[in-house]
Amino acid sequence: MNKTASVVIIGGGISGASIAYNLAKKGVKDIIVVEKKFLTSGSTGRCGAGIRMQWGTEMNCRLSKFSTEFYETANEVLEYEGDIEFKQGGYLIVAATEKEDEQFKKNVALQNSLGIPTVYLTPKEAKKIIPHMDETKIISATFCQKDGHLNPFHTTQAFANAAERLGVKFMKYTEVTGIKVENGKVVGVQTDKGFISTPVVVNAAGGYSKQIGEMAGVDIPVYAERHQILVTEPVNQMQDPMYMGFALNVYIQQTPHGSFIMGRSGENEPRDLRITSSWDFTEKMAKDACTLLPMLKDLRVVRQWAGLYTMSPDRQPIYSKAGNVEGFYMSTGFSGHGFMLGPVTGVVMSEMILGEKPSLPIEKLGLDRFEKGELLFEPSVV
Amino acid sequence: MLEKTGVATEQDLARVTPSKERRAKGPVAVIECFQRIPCNPCQTACKTGAIKEFKDINDTPEIDHDACTGCGLCVSSCPGLSIVVVDETYSEEEALVKIPYEFLPLPEAGSFVTGLDREGKPVCRAKVVKVLNTKSMDRTPVVSLAVPKDMSMTVRFIKLNDYFSDNTIVCRCEELTMGELRELIRKGYNTVDEIKRISRAGMGPCQGRTCRQLIMQEIAAATGTKMADLTVSTYRPPVKPVKLGTIAGGEHGE
Amino acid sequence: MRTTEIAIIGGGPAGLRAAISAASMGAKVTIIERNENLGGQLVKQTHMFFGSQKQYASTRGIDIAEILLKDLDKYKDRIEIMTNATVLSIFEDGVISIEQDDKYLKIKPQSVIVTTGASEKFLAFPNNDLPGIYGAGAVQTLMNVHGVAPGRSVVMVGAGNIGLIVSYQLMQAGIEVKAILDASPRIGGYLVHASKIRRMGIPILTSHTVKYAHGTDKLQKVTICQLDEKFQQIPGTERDIETDVLCISVGLSPLTELLWQAGCNMKYIPELGGHVPVRDKDLQTSIKGVYVAGDVAGVEEASSAMVEGRLAGLCAAKALGHATADFEELHNDCIEQLNSLRSGHVGEKIRKGLEQVAM
Repeated sequence: MNKTASVVIIGGGISGASIAYNLAKKGVKDIIVVEKKFLTSGSTGRCGAGIRMQWGTEMNCRLSKFSTEFYETANEVLEYEGDIEFKQGGYLIVAATEKEDEQFKKNVALQNSLGIPTVYLTPKEAKKIIPHMDETKIISATFCQKDGHLNPFHTTQAFANAAERLGVKFMKYTEVTGIKVENGKVVGVQTDKGFISTPVVVNAAGGYSKQIGEMAGVDIPVYAERHQILVTEPVNQMQDPMYMGFALNVYIQQTPHGSFIMGRSGENEPRDLRITSSWDFTEKMAKDACTLLPMLKDLRVVRQWAGLYTMSPDRQPIYSKAGNVEGFYMSTGFSGHGFMLGPVTGVVMSEMILGEKPSLPIEKLGLDRFEKGELLFEPSVV
Repeated sequence: MLEKTGVATEQDLARVTPSKERRAKGPVAVIECFQRIPCNPCQTACKTGAIKEFKDINDTPEIDHDACTGCGLCVSSCPGLSIVVVDETYSEEEALVKIPYEFLPLPEAGSFVTGLDREGKPVCRAKVVKVLNTKSMDRTPVVSLAVPKDMSMTVRFIKLNDYFSDNTIVCRCEELTMGELRELIRKGYNTVDEIKRISRAGMGPCQGRTCRQLIMQEIAAATGTKMADLTVSTYRPPVKPVKLGTIAGGEHGE
Repeated sequence: MRTTEIAIIGGGPAGLRAAISAASMGAKVTIIERNENLGGQLVKQTHMFFGSQKQYASTRGIDIAEILLKDLDKYKDRIEIMTNATVLSIFEDGVISIEQDDKYLKIKPQSVIVTTGASEKFLAFPNNDLPGIYGAGAVQTLMNVHGVAPGRSVVMVGAGNIGLIVSYQLMQAGIEVKAILDASPRIGGYLVHASKIRRMGIPILTSHTVKYAHGTDKLQKVTICQLDEKFQQIPGTERDIETDVLCISVGLSPLTELLWQAGCNMKYIPELGGHVPVRDKDLQTSIKGVYVAGDVAGVEEASSAMVEGRLAGLCAAKALGHATADFEELHNDCIEQLNSLRSGHVGEKIRKGLEQVAM
């Protein structure tokens, strides 16, 4: 059946739901979100769902601070009947090399200047925060109590429910097969359930955003890379903060439910949209966990899974309109941080689409930065 | 016939049932009192004047449904337990029925019970939303039940045993009950994967070995879908829980 | 990393037969069995098997296990046996991870034959987690392996072959079977099994189900009720039976987790017990080098599981270059045996199911 919409958002993850909510809140009618499977079925539902304000660039600090502050009151603001389970147990980020330690000192100064209450810690001080860690494996650490973790399914559902109450339509199990462009302008979206006429398309398709871009003739310099996670059975609460290391290539945290979630980046992960499991990850992850947090060795793994990071050249998001196709917008390239930036993504994208003054200086995150060579490298990523 | 069976007839009920329009506006008292007996506490309890003054203490109560706010004060005051409050604005699919309930144990809020009709026949599952038992109610607690909307004028009592198996545990690892599962399906979560993500069912140590089949059966029944047409959630390693230390130790053990 | 030519996952009747036939062709085989002993469910079967002589008819399951183990011994130089070893995963590159005695091992086989069998289905009713409520398999293990009586009296749910056989074995063990219920209007198991139970005075209540279990810390009684033709409970037909054991035998579902992990194309076939892999005439799934045999490929009798195992073993070995002159003859013999076991009225359901998964 053919439809008409004022905006079509492609992707029913946190970004799509948040953009839809923010547009609808500003009075935009006839918004349709098209999702290939169900809400959170892509990267949102597969991510570690942590949020941190400890970054190495001012841009990322400000984006994540905005999101953290939103999540603190999200249950009320979005009038959610459930609970997004936001736990601000902090992130303990550990330095394992001298170079990293130097960078961390700079990061803390930057973060503090932006009002982010990070502290620099010795290994001994860090051990007070996570007593079961082997502090001899680290040189120093930084800690921010306001960082934390949420339930990605409930968080996305909270945005989606609020958007639906404002009239947004979610088309689940609907796959985009083409984007129609005429005279340099978007005119509609072809799906397997019919054509949707629309002057505005927002590409929030996560790992598939490159392919969606191609459908409109827009080249987006991102690629989807597999990342793997494993989860243990639930146990009593023993670790409040996330344990994270960049040189150590690891993150380990306990969810409010009690299970431990942990992940690392693989050396040769496929970039072909595959989300199968590898034994190599399981083994390296188990070894790292047992070395760094030895008490975890008796925890039993119940499941491992994989999702896609949408990697941009400088590991920073791309919030942009297309230079060559009018009406085509994108929010992608989150490089593994799309979930935590969900709230700010919705705000800045809705402002961009409506031509409003941006709340944050996101013009630096446009697609044209890659042509101009003005990259903003983020040093602090796993 | 009421006199013979003790069960109000359709004609009896027609006289006391609030109009459909009135019911669509919000909570309203339904007084199913048909016999002239010397009794008037409902009228005394009514603070809005909706229950009109009795000329004779033997009068059956007359209520102006438009003036009634559905406050429910009359419910626990009625010695004959003949008053309920019905609220059809509770949710899109459900109505709230507030009934007097003088038995122990009292049902627990959040649990599922069996809704009975005026003959005590099980007619639907009902979720206990609230149990009010204040001092002024003088040991006639009022139980608020969420029932399917078309059951608002049918459900008049409950049985705590769970005829429709709503309290049955479906997922033992994460303690999802059948009632909760049914509620999720009603909200539109109708694949195993969606139910898993929103409720954690199947995410525990057994990874869905027990519950996956039961959840699929319930989805199939509730949505009228064939089992063969349901999407299956993904299976991931490991098949059974294994210690991190065992994996890390490899062939040599820990 | 360890290597082998053919990894066989599961040392039950299908797996053992697969190992014997693959090894007889000259292949190097590794059997990976989760339990301490080989033989799978055979060791619990104290009754005589049906079928024909080729599938050890009229021999008791427990003795068939012995015969298979003796055959296995003939090829012991080519067969590696791992017991207490649970396969955890089949990864994207075909590597298998295993937990054995708190050790974590990996094997890279050239082919794998999955013979993991089936697990028991569960029923949802209030208090179904009370102690005293068992699956039929657990009751068989208690009685026939450990010699322990599960209780004083039993209500059996399910009148398929397993429900009927276990009821009979319970009576043999001196335990009172109070009734056998089945939701279906017809007895699902072989009628000879049903008759031998009925003549002991045990009622078989078709169109009945268990509605409620009662008890505080263990099962004391069950409420049963009648079902209408749409399998809906009929109010007012409830009645209580006092019992300390409720045994549930409402069918088996194939244990296919590893096949899903391996990426096999699966189909839901109720006639075969649930989701089963699509396979070719050599029992190879949609993933090259992944074969199946026995209940995991579709719930049937142990007799057909053994023939399937033999067939899968032959074909897996042949595909790796272990050809023998009589391969075609052996292959045809397996197909003929399977056709004969599945012929007739009771095989109709299986035939219908298999038609839908043939590749």
